[in-house]
Amino acid sequence: MTDLKQSITEAEAIEQAKQGHEAAFEVLYHLHKRRVYSLCLRMVSNPVQAEDLAQEAFLQLFRKISTFRGESAFSTWLHRMTVNVVLMQLRKKGLPVVSLEETLEADDEAPRKEFGTKDLKLTGAIDRLQLQRAIDKLPPGYRTVFVLHDVEGFEHNEIAQMVGCSIGNSKSQLHKARLKLRDYLKFMRAEKAKTG
Amino acid sequence: MTCSDVERVLPEFLDRAPDGAFPTDFETHVKTCPACSNLVSELKLIASEARQLAATEEPAPRVWVRIAAELRAEGLIREPQSTPARPILIPTSSGRRWSAWWLAPVAAALLAAGAYMVGHERAPQVAKQQAPTTPVTSPAVDTLGATSHSEDIQSPLQQAKKSGKPGASAVGTTVATAVEPGPSAEDQQFLSAVSTLAPSMRVSYENELQAVNADIRETQAYVNRNPGDEDARQHLMDAYQQKALLYQIALDRIQ
Amino acid sequence: MASLWHASLRQNTVVTLVLATCLASAASAETKKEYRFTVGPNASVSVDTQYGAISVKPGSRNQVVVTATLKSDKVEVDKLQNGNRIEIASHLLQGADQQSGQIDYEVLIPPDATLNLRSSTGPLSAEHLQGDLSLEGTDAVVNIRNVDNGHVNVRTMGGPITLSDVRNGHVDIASISGDVHLKSVTGPLVQAKSGSGKIFYDGDFGSGGDYKFTTHTGDIEALAPGNVSADFSAHSVLGQVQNDFPLQPKHSRFSVEAGRSFFGTVGKAASEVVLRTFSGKIRLKQR
Repeated sequence: MTDLKQSITEAEAIEQAKQGHEAAFEVLYHLHKRRVYSLCLRMVSNPVQAEDLAQEAFLQLFRKISTFRGESAFSTWLHRMTVNVVLMQLRKKGLPVVSLEETLEADDEAPRKEFGTKDLKLTGAIDRLQLQRAIDKLPPGYRTVFVLHDVEGFEHNEIAQMVGCSIGNSKSQLHKARLKLRDYLKFMRAEKAKTG
Repeated sequence: MTCSDVERVLPEFLDRAPDGAFPTDFETHVKTCPACSNLVSELKLIASEARQLAATEEPAPRVWVRIAAELRAEGLIREPQSTPARPILIPTSSGRRWSAWWLAPVAAALLAAGAYMVGHERAPQVAKQQAPTTPVTSPAVDTLGATSHSEDIQSPLQQAKKSGKPGASAVGTTVATAVEPGPSAEDQQFLSAVSTLAPSMRVSYENELQAVNADIRETQAYVNRNPGDEDARQHLMDAYQQKALLYQIALDRIQ
Repeated sequence: MASLWHASLRQNTVVTLVLATCLASAASAETKKEYRFTVGPNASVSVDTQYGAISVKPGSRNQVVVTATLKSDKVEVDKLQNGNRIEIASHLLQGADQQSGQIDYEVLIPPDATLNLRSSTGPLSAEHLQGDLSLEGTDAVVNIRNVDNGHVNVRTMGGPITLSDVRNGHVDIASISGDVHLKSVTGPLVQAKSGSGKIFYDGDFGSGGDYKFTTHTGDIEALAPGNVSADFSAHSVLGQVQNDFPLQPKHSRFSVEAGRSFFGTVGKAASEVVLRTFSGKIRLKQR
């Protein structure tokens, strides 16, 4: 990055971007690109789509930057915009943004004991690659809520508003997502233990 | 409280305040039941580890290139296009490719020019003519095989192309010399870069460039005569986008 | 953290076999090489060659197999694996030309992988896949068939583009002068643009989608069954239009010029079809 980029603050970059300075846009992009792209990638599990979505999120942000008054943090504004862009894409593709069922299913009521893994507990650090793979395996509806809450840090009331469900539904979906991830991760560990 | 009860209320309790203030009977059961204890701790572990995944992935450099091109096209970048101080390099595994840094902003500038032309002060709506002002025959419905009166206003290059693609390139080149105006400075620079970096593609690019430029001129002339025709304006914008696409394909190839 | 991440990926996912077979020929030393990559779900495969054909078919769910036929020793294959992302590119050496610099690729990928192909000369082909496809060819002939659910994005300069049996995804085609043939292509969004190339559509405009075909001078011809359900808008600024369907008239932003436009609905108007050309002809035919 040039010296301009290294010496400018985010607030200054925002003001200069409002004036149409390319370097300022680039500063803002590089400051937030990882967060935006990672969010898109987690939600759609597809690098090419994630790039398109990240591009669209930044474009929407930059188009509206003249309206930013600083009432909330810039990153929060961008974050929400990114989520909306992704959710719109999921809806366009006809993918469920969040599942509709609100109650636990019968087979989810008891902790699982299969895989012969009575002693195989998830302890210590979870391998990040395995966790990513497990998230990719989640059904889209579960993945949305899990990524928004546990990865990105949104609260249930925010998620409910964004995806159009109840707070209870959001909590329920998150719980089911975590249960599924727990199963996937235990299975992966068991498989790894077998192959050594 | 039973294990089933714990699982039922867990969605509500698991994400409570960090000090984890749970109801007494819930806490008592979890402390004494290994299965539920494991469940709670494992779900908390997953939740905490997930946070590590935020902001770990890096998008490819092309994402910024595309964003910048679009911003210029939309006029959101309002600085003058000075001689670029830094190349737009898209890193490759070998790092041995050329960079044609100026093509991206030129492609974007084309889009911006098109957007300006299309969105520029709209003339008052005029009574829409039933036929174009160019000399044509009556607009009777015709079969696709019959000669179209629209060909009357096509450039000789376009007629040559329509007559048969295989010979079009050679014919087009000859016709272009006789009829088509010379290329602009940006087009000259573009063709010069293609000649240097992908000489075998020069003829193809040149012919396509001549054709899209002819389309732009033709459409612009129509819009000038019929300023109220929104569809024609959109076609003019489309023609600029075609030229930007041509530049973009070249950029992807010769860099 | 990033370095641990990459180390973990390399440990877990990269298995590469190189199989070199020399095929003697009078004119040049043609070499065939094979590369194998282990991948997880949602793999992304990119193949880029200046000169040469690329053909992609579905293979096993966790492996990418690339067979490269190098026409001479003036070109080599660059390959990169980063997790589930595979990048293959032809690298021209000093003195390479269109003949000596050619590499033809045959690629097997997981059916749901994301695919990016690029070639100046082509041809490019992809079939029986379910992931997103992005193909770019300068003068390459592009052929895509039997793709379900994936988004399909194709760009060519003059190369003709043919899609058949492509369903349920977004289709976005753009060519400067190449003809576009769409047969049994349906989905929520199907758009094709060509400057001077022609656009042919043979299908039912199904899935309640948006269909937009635009040319500058090229003709647009669509062939649909009698029971099609669509809202049609067609307009040629300077050319002529013809329509075989009895359209229910509706209000449109275009003033209806006899011979230059037609608008109206057939059936329940489930899909929207917009056909636009500057000076080409538009023909909507009933099968």
